[in-house]
Amino acid sequence: MIVPPPHSIAISPVGASDTELLIQVGKEISRIFGYQTEIIPLLKDVDFALDPSRNQYHSTLILGELASLAPHAIKVVAIVQVDLFIPILTHIFGEAQLGGKACIISIYRLREGLSSLSNPEFYHKRVVKEAIHELGHTFRLRHCRDQSCIMHYCRTVKDVDRRSDQFCRYCKVLLEDEMKRLNRNWGSRNPAI
Amino acid sequence: MGSTKILVVDDELIMRESLAGWLYRDGYDVKTVGSGEEALERLKGTRFDILLVDIKMEGISGLDLLRQVKEDDPDVAVVMITAYGSISTAIEAMKNGAFDYLLKPFDPEALGVVIDKIIEHQDQARENIFLREQFKDRTRFESMIGQSKAMQEVFDLIQDVAPTGSTVLITGETGTGKGLAAKAIHTNSPRCEGPFVQVNCGAIPEHLMESELFGHQKGAFTDAKETKKGRLELAHDGTLLLDEIGEIGMRMQIDLLRVLEDGVFYRVGGTQPIEVDFRVIASTNRNLEEAIKEGIFREDLYYRLNVISFQMPSLRERKEDIPLVAEHFLLRFSQETNKPVDQISREAIDEMMLYEWPGNVRELENALERAVVVCKGRKILPEDLPIFRPEYLALPNGNSLKRVETEHITKILNINQWNIAKSAKVLGVDRSTLYNKIKRYQIPKPT
Repeated sequence: MIVPPPHSIAISPVGASDTELLIQVGKEISRIFGYQTEIIPLLKDVDFALDPSRNQYHSTLILGELASLAPHAIKVVAIVQVDLFIPILTHIFGEAQLGGKACIISIYRLREGLSSLSNPEFYHKRVVKEAIHELGHTFRLRHCRDQSCIMHYCRTVKDVDRRSDQFCRYCKVLLEDEMKRLNRNWGSRNPAI
Repeated sequence: MGSTKILVVDDELIMRESLAGWLYRDGYDVKTVGSGEEALERLKGTRFDILLVDIKMEGISGLDLLRQVKEDDPDVAVVMITAYGSISTAIEAMKNGAFDYLLKPFDPEALGVVIDKIIEHQDQARENIFLREQFKDRTRFESMIGQSKAMQEVFDLIQDVAPTGSTVLITGETGTGKGLAAKAIHTNSPRCEGPFVQVNCGAIPEHLMESELFGHQKGAFTDAKETKKGRLELAHDGTLLLDEIGEIGMRMQIDLLRVLEDGVFYRVGGTQPIEVDFRVIASTNRNLEEAIKEGIFREDLYYRLNVISFQMPSLRERKEDIPLVAEHFLLRFSQETNKPVDQISREAIDEMMLYEWPGNVRELENALERAVVVCKGRKILPEDLPIFRPEYLALPNGNSLKRVETEHITKILNINQWNIAKSAKVLGVDRSTLYNKIKRYQIPKPT
């Protein structure tokens, strides 16, 4: 197992990965959260979370596994190709441990409405936004009423497109508070956001 | 968002935990319980805004829980969670007061939509309660004054009707404030930024009405030197008050009906259709149903106008408002005339309370205007009022106190249809005193 460096956010692709996309996700996470990012495949596959009756993967099970694999990382975000679910819902774009270490996003439904000829930038933006959103949850941020805030809950990919990639001023303050608290615990520098 | 309290009731741990986790991230205050019994226990101590209840549970079923919850607190929104096989039960739940139902597993969008709808619904209900509470202590609403039950009901009605955009028909005697009520509806409606255009159908001669309402093109008739916009066009995006609609002629009723149905009309002499969008309020002191029977008012126009209707109470039906309304006019006219009249004597108030005010508030307004003008001191006396009847004070010689009192009590009883409580109030005595006087003077109740 590869161990991510301390005080970093681990980006963990599962399955075939688009390197260019991962680099962009890492760069944006670094810009937004101020932490160093490392791309580390922590899970070989997520077959253990497959529900054959739904042909989907139970994201909560993957999160539990993921958190235990990255003890030194401050947060870890997994990017999977498969369709995710939680038992009560038909599907989800992603899930996070609120105030915890791990979150996950699926790119399965993020290609919706895009042809292979579409500008990849457009698709990359969706993935970046979802990754930042789910990571926001791991910093104790809940969904925000402000429709332009990255923490606003998106019901559809169209909503994801409309949403900005920035935190609103309230979420920004709450994020800073949480980062200060984390850095006190980790004895680290206070990253800028 | 954070203040909305949700209770998830499901006997499957994995279901309730995944739902609670999702809702918690969405910003709600979420609690979970594993049975109907636990839910009832939890509800004893805490009030929840929304309950998400699984229909199939051991013990108390989701449906039974719904019934009990709605009995205790009808304002709680209950959403039933159901599997494919039990949709009929979900429909039954809707009949029993469930807000909605969701088929599990449900689309995250569907869950969000239902919860947003509930919150919007509950916010609206809270806002209505808040507004009602505010109006409870209100003696004024826009330009209308009154603390009587009858006027409070009118204020409530206007508050409810104003935002709807529906056509309103206001009935009531002359001088009861139908125009003020119409203005209050406009001011409290989404069209308040638009114009409020009033047409007094009774005051405009029929041959001028067409041009007045629809406007005319230059040269349409001899005097049409310029193109002129009609009142309908001027009311675009606002409210059109058709005052004294009962007086409008038959031909104009037909034209008006067409505009109300199509929202399109032509200026007199014009060929271009003009589209208009306005809210219509009509008012009348006539009994329009009688007018229909007499064949002088079109039934189809009546139904077009009578979407929401209410009646303005006459002043004699709300006599308790007289001192308040009189004080209002006193202040206004003393300021307008620059006279230092600032009081109404007890006797003058009594006179006003005894009078029937056939001309309603408008007559009271005129009476106070005159009183302020003729008043010689700071205080309005009975003789300053045009309604003052000297025979009450200067009775012919030989009238005993008993006769005067008998006549006065009889008159008040008759005015109030022998309602003892109302009559006693007007007379300024308690009910037992009035009963004693009726008995002592042997005043006969009309049969």
